[in-house]
Amino acid sequence: MSLPSVRTIELDPRIIRWTLISAQVLALIVYLLGAGFLFRSSGGTLFLFSVVAPALIVLAALALGGVALYRYLRRTSLFAFALFEPGDVILQQGDHGDFAYFIQQGEVEVVRREKEVETLISVLKKGQHFGETALISNEPHQSTVRAKTRVRVAMLGKRKFLHMLRFVHPAHGDLMSSINQQATEQAAKRAKAAARSSRD
Amino acid sequence: MGAAVLRSLPAEALAQPHVFQQDPVDRLMARFLAVLILVGLAVVLWSLFRYRGRDVGAISWGLLLGGTIVLPVMFTGVGTILALERVRTVPLCGSCHLTMKPYVDDMMNPKSNSLAAIHYTNRYIAENQCYECHTSYGMLGTLESKEQGIVDVYKYYTRTFQLPLQLRHPYRDQDCLKCHAGAKKWIAAHEDSQEKIFAGKVSCMQCHVETNPAHTLIGQESNP
Repeated sequence: MSLPSVRTIELDPRIIRWTLISAQVLALIVYLLGAGFLFRSSGGTLFLFSVVAPALIVLAALALGGVALYRYLRRTSLFAFALFEPGDVILQQGDHGDFAYFIQQGEVEVVRREKEVETLISVLKKGQHFGETALISNEPHQSTVRAKTRVRVAMLGKRKFLHMLRFVHPAHGDLMSSINQQATEQAAKRAKAAARSSRD
Repeated sequence: MGAAVLRSLPAEALAQPHVFQQDPVDRLMARFLAVLILVGLAVVLWSLFRYRGRDVGAISWGLLLGGTIVLPVMFTGVGTILALERVRTVPLCGSCHLTMKPYVDDMMNPKSNSLAAIHYTNRYIAENQCYECHTSYGMLGTLESKEQGIVDVYKYYTRTFQLPLQLRHPYRDQDCLKCHAGAKKWIAAHEDSQEKIFAGKVSCMQCHVETNPAHTLIGQESNP
């Protein structure tokens, strides 16, 4: 299944928060400059009020407009994007699924923990996906997925993912065959591992 | 208390000695501006206190837009009307003490024989005396004075002005004639010379600077 091109840039929520706070602080300064001119009209306060204050309003408007545009793009965008460093756990075995993940860059390892023993199930690369089975089955994740290298993933929320499956039939077929293939490979690996352990 | 503050605003700002000298536009705009400032401050502070920079839902966005964009734009619009009124006043010109105080002091000095003092102390010009003489006729004159005023304020606060101050260009006859031309007394006094004056062959200052200089300055020789 081909991935859509990147349409949004993920911003740290703290950046958005501080941008909004900064815009409001600029507005506070504008009000104070106005009060300064109102109570003490002089060349200086006039300059601050008539030149500096409008410039601050433009800055505040740009900050607010930027956040509004970002929110709009986020709302209308199909995917969210995230970066993970090597070793980061992307999803945890036993947790409920919220997203389907499509690898855009890097590699991840899928591991399953049974009776305190961790088994590597597979390594997934760019173009492959994970996390969707829990969305379809509405069951917890059967395995943990960890970043093997630095990974960038496109994340599709559960509701959007299920909508996509319902309305985009080719996507449904592609995904199901891909899940089948992965399941077959994993089953074969598990069988091989079991045979090896019984021989030992 | 709030009402008392609002009532006293124009007087506080302009230090006008008599209530009848307060411009009604200034009085109304000052009160309106004060209300806008109070409302704006309340909206922004409440938004900061309540949401702390988070944009969650329509109300938070409403407060953000109202407090950060809508009210400040309204407030600068109203403030511009007020600024255009106040920028003409003598106290505002005199607020640049280092450069303008000697000129304003001379103008207000009843013993001075400068043209500025004669016009001011006799109330030949009723109000905004600096502005009336130093701004050319019409809208373009006002725009020109604003443009030059911004440069002057910048030079003043960056201390890049040079003393003694120099006019950017020779004082224009039209700035005298806009009031005097056609007046009975002026026509009688300039019967022989008015054709030359209108033709630009003789300037007002050529004759008047001898007996009545524009300003008589004391104590402004060089930069402080």
